[in-house]
Amino acid sequence: MILATPILILLAAALLTWALRRQLPATVARGWLLALAPLSSFLLLLWQAGRLGEEPATWSANWIAGLNLQAVIYFDALAALFALLVTGIGTLIILYAGYYFAGDDKAARFFTYLFLFMAMMLGLVLAGDVVTLFIFWEGTSITSFLLVAYKTTSADARRGATKALLITGGGGIALLLGLLLLASLAGGTEFATILASGGAVRGSSLYLATLILVATGAFTKSAQTPAHIWLPEAMSAPTPASAFLHSATMVKAGIYLMARLNPALGQTEAWFWLLSIAGLLTMVTGAYLGTKQDDLKALLAYSTISQLGILMMLVGQDTEIAFKALIIGVVAHALYKSALFMGVGIIDHETGTRRLSRLGGLRRAMPLSFGLILVAGLSLAGLPPVFGFLAKETLLASAVHPTLPLLVSYLFVAAIVAAAALKVVLSGLLTVDTFTGPSRDETFAGHEAPVGMLLAPFVPALLSIALGVLPEPKAVAEFFGAAAAASFGAPVKVSFALWTGLNVQVTLSALAITLGGLLFWQRRPFIAWQHRLPSWSFNRAYEAGLAAIDRGAWIATRVQGGRLRVYLSVTVLAMLGLVLLLGGLVWPSPAATVNGLNGLRAEFDIIRLLALLAVVGAALATVVIKRDFFAVLALGAAGLGVAVYMAVEPAPDVALVQIVVDILATVILVLAIGRLPRRQREAAQRLNVGVQWRNLLVAVSGGLLVALMAYGALTSRPRPSLVTPFYSENAKPLTGASDIVGAIIVDFRALDTLIEIAVFSLAGLGVYTLLTHAARKHDDHGQAIDEQVPLPARPDAGFGIGGERASVYIRTVTNLLLPVALVIGAIHMLYGHDQPGDGFTAGVIISLAIGLKYVVFGFRETRRRLWWMRPRRFIASGILLVVINGSLAALLNGYFLAPVDYGALIGLPLPAGVKLSSGFLFEVAIALAVFGGVSLMLDTLGRPAVDVRALGQPAADADRPTTSLMTGD
Amino acid sequence: MELLTALGIGLLFGVALYQMLQRNVIRSAIGVILLGSAINLFLLAAGSTNGVVPAYSTFTDTQADALPQALVLTAIVISMGGLAFIMSMLYIISVRYQTGDMDEVNGLRN
Repeated sequence: MILATPILILLAAALLTWALRRQLPATVARGWLLALAPLSSFLLLLWQAGRLGEEPATWSANWIAGLNLQAVIYFDALAALFALLVTGIGTLIILYAGYYFAGDDKAARFFTYLFLFMAMMLGLVLAGDVVTLFIFWEGTSITSFLLVAYKTTSADARRGATKALLITGGGGIALLLGLLLLASLAGGTEFATILASGGAVRGSSLYLATLILVATGAFTKSAQTPAHIWLPEAMSAPTPASAFLHSATMVKAGIYLMARLNPALGQTEAWFWLLSIAGLLTMVTGAYLGTKQDDLKALLAYSTISQLGILMMLVGQDTEIAFKALIIGVVAHALYKSALFMGVGIIDHETGTRRLSRLGGLRRAMPLSFGLILVAGLSLAGLPPVFGFLAKETLLASAVHPTLPLLVSYLFVAAIVAAAALKVVLSGLLTVDTFTGPSRDETFAGHEAPVGMLLAPFVPALLSIALGVLPEPKAVAEFFGAAAAASFGAPVKVSFALWTGLNVQVTLSALAITLGGLLFWQRRPFIAWQHRLPSWSFNRAYEAGLAAIDRGAWIATRVQGGRLRVYLSVTVLAMLGLVLLLGGLVWPSPAATVNGLNGLRAEFDIIRLLALLAVVGAALATVVIKRDFFAVLALGAAGLGVAVYMAVEPAPDVALVQIVVDILATVILVLAIGRLPRRQREAAQRLNVGVQWRNLLVAVSGGLLVALMAYGALTSRPRPSLVTPFYSENAKPLTGASDIVGAIIVDFRALDTLIEIAVFSLAGLGVYTLLTHAARKHDDHGQAIDEQVPLPARPDAGFGIGGERASVYIRTVTNLLLPVALVIGAIHMLYGHDQPGDGFTAGVIISLAIGLKYVVFGFRETRRRLWWMRPRRFIASGILLVVINGSLAALLNGYFLAPVDYGALIGLPLPAGVKLSSGFLFEVAIALAVFGGVSLMLDTLGRPAVDVRALGQPAADADRPTTSLMTGD
Repeated sequence: MELLTALGIGLLFGVALYQMLQRNVIRSAIGVILLGSAINLFLLAAGSTNGVVPAYSTFTDTQADALPQALVLTAIVISMGGLAFIMSMLYIISVRYQTGDMDEVNGLRN
């Protein structure tokens, strides 16, 4: 657990920073305060690193037990080195950002992002399992996107952040595949397993694919050419973020990954060539492009790219000295590059520009900053006595590769010398051109930064000198050696001696420095020559790729043109095509068909056949019939046919619900027709012939597909089912209901039913809201701006459909029907557990009795008679009843919605067959909610339609929504 | 009988699709309901047993499969709620755009 604590501290810091964003002062004190979080992480890690023995420390926790996923931490010297860099430089960056953002009270967002990023990065280097690593890997991509796009109003920042996300995210996908392959080759996801099974991994036929996929992830993250294009544009991040992302963290993730996996994937020819060539190209490209830049930050970005190339190349070697150079290079670069970034940030902050062509002669105004950049710049150039010199020396030593052909070996050496020379130029531009000579533009004179702000970059700069000059600190050398050994897979000896005698690397170093000095002396002609050369950037490939995706949208806009009917056609035809393509459909063989025809006689079922004929006939009638009203009636007939078929199935519960719902649906459609003007509907009826043929094609193919699937389903039964026997056996003993369907609804799948009645109630509320509120005009803030239309006062209240007063017989029957419906509903609820019928049926039956009242008495009279009807309260009480009932059952029986027989529990004397159980209460609740929903629908749809447009005119026919039904339509 | 049932379900599904593709919104609504019926029948057909008696534990003969029945039961009720909601949406559209033709309601696109 203690190993995970440093990550948790940073996550907690992110949360706290955001929670207290209004309380935190916008002064430098904020930076000092917040820096305590990464500092404590750093100290904790340092303590842990000190206790580290030969074996790595690990920690794991069950994360998703069902998937056998674990969160694992693997803490060895290599992980410790990177973790210390992340938290150590992180502490300085937070401190620095406190000065950078002083006075900006909105900057808590920045600190939150930075903490999140830091936590992700720390998790990445501590991860002990490929899945854990991948999660943190993607976490760094996302949080760095937030950091780069911090200035959300700047188009450059957004573009740069998107580019970084697309490139590193794309690499992330490759990495995921690679890591999963690697885990399957090694036989485990944990690094402990993977690192120990290098032989199995390298011997596999999938080795090359794994290597390329993993390397793609690492190359995109660590900005290897050609994926390096995201890094310079990511410079639109605020400087503290750039200093952190591009010195010690984000871009080092790829290096870390490759160094980590070297024992498993490395030390092969493929590994060597892949990493060496990528690294070599990146090193030269970065250094060459760097000298062309005018923006100091861009210059640093390219020098970072160059350094990343060097490090990637080093991981590719299989010599001891290369891994020594790797570790020293990582540390040296983290130190001098963070100092340089922060230094450039100070220049920008104090002068207002980062343009080389504007700066100059800052030495007088900013002597401390000059000292800082000078020290770090010496390290960048690889000049003694700074740590960077050692890094370059070991690099050059490792370049003299013992096993390569002579020419290739020379190429390596030449490339490294060239890159080293260019870095001398870069360093000169940063130090000499910026701080000495005359000022190029007096408006950017500048003044020295506060001492606190200089403190943060001075720490790594001074460390650079200390590591170079001080007598070899034994503990540090051993630590570096252990880290290098963890990556190399064999012991590595690290020494910090700057002067090792006059050998090859010193000679090469002198050559590089001389060359660099000469180039810098002639820098103006050199840079001018660079600008004259034809240039081509991989950015063009990137932009062409994005443009191609945009053009691909053409297809999508053709298919999705905003016409729903086209969508439907495409969906059905695509589904048909997919089914046919995947061969999921078994065509019935001729023999089976003959058998089917023979079987027709054997089990010919006249009622089923009649029901089917009725359904299909009525359905066809809805197509043929011209008038909408009669088509709706035909639809009702089809629904009743379905009910008959279901009753014969035999599914009596379903048939009952189907009947009542079918009637209700017909009523709702009839009410709706009255509200949609006939003129509009008839105008829409006309279709041209081509469209009709297309519709016919879609309908026929869809129908054929479903017929075949249904035939397959029907002919394959009876067949064993896993779930059904459970319900059949347990319905009675567990719930006391012999109606298995009812038991499933109110008990086994009670939670589904709860959600279902909630949805149904919401539909009712939706209808109400739409028709009473949305039909009115609203302003931009959602306030209704027209008056709600009052119901026109009419003398003939109490008149029903057609405006006629119904005969006394009909009125009496209608009045009597409601109590009868209530009794029927109650019976359905009381005996639902043993007989067909349930809460749905009860709710709809009662609603239908009320619907009849609307038809016979009209809207206002019904409302007057049914003064007690409060649909929204019914809905609320129904759902509340389920929740209370379920919670009570949880108290009594252990879990939510458990079956409880309250009647038996308190010994109520109930008539036979009646139970006061949780199932019964659920039925009541369903009935309440359904009744509430339906009556809400009837109430709103039955409300007289007021023509908003005709407000000025006398609303003569306002209470006759359905007058035209019988006569006109 | 299986053949005829399957043909019936397929025919119902085809008619439902044809109706949904109409421009007149009432016809589309009819199509949606028919589609629901076709799918419910299909779900019943997907049951594991060819029952002789309803799914009641009091019967000893081969019971119909209760599970698809329970699914269909809830599906019927839900689709009713959906229908009512669709109809009121269509009413709003009819008042706002003065049309019963969904193709003319293009304000949603731009």
